[in-house]
Amino acid sequence: MSTTRTRTPLVRGRVGELMPRRDAEPKVTGAFAYSSDLEAEGMLFAVTVRSPHPHARIAAIDTAAAVATAGVHAVLTHADVPGRKTVGMHRADQPVLVVDVVRYQGEPVVIVAADDLETARRAAVLVVVTYEVLEPVADPERGEVLRDVRIRHGDQSLGADVVVSGSYEVGMQDQAFLGPESGLAIPDGDGGVDLHVATQWLHLDQEQICAALDLPPAKVRVHLAGVGGAFGGREDVSMQIHACLLALRTGRPVKMVYTREESFFGHVHRHPAWMRYEHGATPEGDLVYVRAEILLDGGAYASSSPAVVSNAACFAAGPYRVQRATIDARVVMTNNPPCGAMRGFGAVQVAVAHEAQMDLLAAALGIDPVDLRVRNALKTGDRMITGQVIDGPAPVRELLEGLRAMPLPLERGSLRADLRELPGGVANTTHGEGVRRGVGYAIGFKNMGFAEGFDDYSTARVRVSLVNGEPLVEVHTAACEVGQGLVTVLEQIARTELGFEHVVVLPADTTVGSAGSSSASRQTWMTGGAVKAACEAVRERLHELAADRSVEETVEHHHRPTFPLDPETGQGDAQVALCFAAHRAVCDVDTDLGLVRVVEIATTQDVGRIMNPAQCEGQIQGGIAQGLGLALMEEIKTENGLVRNPNFTDYLIPTILDMPPVRLAISETPHPDAPYGLNGVGEPPTIASTPAIAAALRAATGRPVTRVPVRPDDLI
Amino acid sequence: MQTPAPFGYERATSVDGAIASLQRLGPEARIIAGGHSLLPMMKLRLANPEHLIDINDLVELSYIREQDGEIRIGALTRHVALLKSELLARHFPVFADAETVIADPVVRNRGTIGGSLCQADAAEDLSAVCTAVKAKVVIRGAAGERVVGMEDFHVGPYQTAVGAGDVLTEVRLPLRPGSGSAHEKVERRAGDWAIAAASAAVWIAAGRITDVGIGLSAVGLTTIHLTRAEDLLRGQAPSEDLFAEAGAIAAADCSPGADGRGPIDYKRHLVGVLTHRALRRAAARAASQEA
Ligand SMILES: Cc1cc2nc3c(=O)[nH]c(=O)nc-3n(C[C@H](O)[C@H](O)[C@H](O)COP(=O)(O)OP(=O)(O)OC[C@H]3O[C@@H](n4cnc5c(N)ncnc54)[C@H](O)[C@@H]3O)c2cc1C
Repeated sequence: MSTTRTRTPLVRGRVGELMPRRDAEPKVTGAFAYSSDLEAEGMLFAVTVRSPHPHARIAAIDTAAAVATAGVHAVLTHADVPGRKTVGMHRADQPVLVVDVVRYQGEPVVIVAADDLETARRAAVLVVVTYEVLEPVADPERGEVLRDVRIRHGDQSLGADVVVSGSYEVGMQDQAFLGPESGLAIPDGDGGVDLHVATQWLHLDQEQICAALDLPPAKVRVHLAGVGGAFGGREDVSMQIHACLLALRTGRPVKMVYTREESFFGHVHRHPAWMRYEHGATPEGDLVYVRAEILLDGGAYASSSPAVVSNAACFAAGPYRVQRATIDARVVMTNNPPCGAMRGFGAVQVAVAHEAQMDLLAAALGIDPVDLRVRNALKTGDRMITGQVIDGPAPVRELLEGLRAMPLPLERGSLRADLRELPGGVANTTHGEGVRRGVGYAIGFKNMGFAEGFDDYSTARVRVSLVNGEPLVEVHTAACEVGQGLVTVLEQIARTELGFEHVVVLPADTTVGSAGSSSASRQTWMTGGAVKAACEAVRERLHELAADRSVEETVEHHHRPTFPLDPETGQGDAQVALCFAAHRAVCDVDTDLGLVRVVEIATTQDVGRIMNPAQCEGQIQGGIAQGLGLALMEEIKTENGLVRNPNFTDYLIPTILDMPPVRLAISETPHPDAPYGLNGVGEPPTIASTPAIAAALRAATGRPVTRVPVRPDDLI
Repeated sequence: MQTPAPFGYERATSVDGAIASLQRLGPEARIIAGGHSLLPMMKLRLANPEHLIDINDLVELSYIREQDGEIRIGALTRHVALLKSELLARHFPVFADAETVIADPVVRNRGTIGGSLCQADAAEDLSAVCTAVKAKVVIRGAAGERVVGMEDFHVGPYQTAVGAGDVLTEVRLPLRPGSGSAHEKVERRAGDWAIAAASAAVWIAAGRITDVGIGLSAVGLTTIHLTRAEDLLRGQAPSEDLFAEAGAIAAADCSPGADGRGPIDYKRHLVGVLTHRALRRAAARAASQEA
């Protein structure tokens, strides 16, 4: 089912071809400039004073000693924020700098700029903040409800003969990007500022900086700097406003780079979740109803929690046809670390539950778990639990059948196996003793793009000019390359549409219209669509092209409208399009020690159209690694609001030794609404990979495994 | 903090010179070998020595050789050399087992056996290995040289028989026939410190265990020497039941704490299984040597 289009192109590097990315070599050789590598003549270094307490009232802030330190140029507090004192993606509830009450550990209180980093750090230590410590609300059951999404689909009185229920838990995962929050703000000497920053959404940053600085957009230009990973963690602002404030106050460029520990406090995380599920089915295995109560801890501020909880509710039942759904999902506010966007966005948490439930149900019915899924698979024309009729592709059955048909990895051979292939690896703990193998299947889905009536769009400016008689295509957008390979794809699109070899994708900044966020698996669809449309408009006018005359078009691409969910019933056509991926995990477990070796992950994913095969596979491999991390090790641990492991010694990320080979088959069912028929690729691999591993561990050990990350002691 | 506090620095040109410097500079002076334990502590400001005496030029402390019925290992021998030594692999495979999973190649290229033993972190692997194989260490000070057995080496958490003015110069492993040894470690992820680890060495003659040594890492305030389990095994014929019983004693005799690496019950459970398995592998290796 894997296809790679072959054509004989006139120019190389068109859509569908394996075109190498231009940033690959500099990134591998270390020549690539990340946002933390920027420098400017005469720049200052800035640091942040953060609250050590998760909940406290600030009685006084004394900056005198810091201000008096030689080499210090500015020490600013909330009083120095000239405009709106709060920021936030959905609601502006988060102070730029704490005004009176601290709501989470690590919240920024004071910012300091000095000649060098050491001076800035020493001055920061001299800032005296007097806190009246308050008891934190750390238990989400006691949190204040931020949003509550109810879905009442179908006849609510429907019952079923076969009923299974369970409770599930997902820990707080971190994006764990390697490039810390960082950037450089350069004042223009005329009351304005240029900010170079690693971000996901330039115009949202600009809007929030303008509000806080009380400046018009023309005075605040935001430029994308080299991004060292994002995964949702760079949608909310971190140091953006702080660096601009200090630059404008001091009249000097200001560089700000978070330390690794700070980075754990500098961005939102994936919501931890507690879920209670009940599934009812007929004895033949037709799903009758799904009931779910879902609780997400949003932490101290709203961030994108309202949208995450909506996703958790909309995708709560999995990609299955179900007559009745009764879903109560709520996200609460506590004094825990703020949670928000992370790859998979609400669909990840519920997949852990709905897929475990499907396996329970299969066992109760005595049906093969894949057969049960196939029997209930959503298809085009079916209704989701939100009542929305799926008019795009929904190849759930095809993905499951394709996955099942893929060969399994070889059985473990003799006891002489390479130790690296066994649980515990080279630590020598087993040469085969106590090892049992398990296989687990899972499938998940989520939406491409934003939902519930958000009028999302992207803007592209394409210009063709003649340089020494040769056409040069320049593509300008504000879309953020966050490592996913967008720049390469935009280049391929322009080359495909215009047929010219020489295409340059200009650096992304806010001097062109918004591209929206590099999130929600949307950027190739949205900005790719905008570039395609702009190229088409340019193509119509190519006859005007002359040595002294270039042709330029700026086009906005909107997707079709979506609609809010009804607050009582949760019904509504809220989604633009759906993406699907299925995973099969094969795990060996040392059942005496609780150690796991993931032997292989196999996956089938439908991407609509493979825009660039290597990049497509890269997204899938990377997403699976993140899914494996959530299944087995990645968790921010908190205790009464305090983060216990803000470092990469104790926040564990999978390494190459933990990552198994991935067997993949990518299919292409064109999406009728999308440019080239493409679909979102980035998020689906993170969704079902986690529950597939959990299922394999259940199969190997017979233990319930209702929580991820799975702990070794859960397996013995 | 990511940078150490200021300190003085000198490079020793001889062991006696290093000892003289230690004497002269007093208790705030420290030897630095591979620096992979000391420098992280200095960066975290958990250690703030005023002077460092660098012994990395003392190549005369870097060797693994057989002499007078012992394997002798110089204190400055790097992890990587222990990992690759054929002599050690032949007599004490427990070293290669442990070295395969001590940190990562970067740390192993630099860190030394002397530094590992002197650091005496309870989670450190080589102390358990040396305990199991009944090593002796040579300590040299102003008053001369003394030889201390592993049973007397650890005097408390992070504290050893190596005094403030002393240098550890050599580790000695007595060679006895019929030996087999193994190290087994559970870590959260490759390259990490142990959640728990067990080192075992057995000496077998005529189907009986004539002597045995067992050391545990990361499940107490210091490396744990399992004397009760050793007493059980000595004189017995090796068997699965016997090793299981020794594992049960090990689980009872360790004293782990609960932390981010796991709860106490799980750690005790690990110790039981690891001790059992390490004994089984050590005995199998002894048997294959006999053959
Ligand atoms: C990331 C990382 C992971 C690690 N993981 C593990 C692991 O899994 N298992 C493990 O066992 N170890 C691990 N280690 C520790 C590693 O093995 C160190 O190399 C070792 O503990 C110390 O050796 P060193 O030569 O670097 O000592 P140093 O850091 O140079 O010294 C340590 C201490 O010993 C003293 N000292 C050193 N040599 C002498 C001497 N000859 N005489 C007297 N005093 C001396 C020093 O004064 C100092 O107090 C890890 C280290 C790192 C950085």
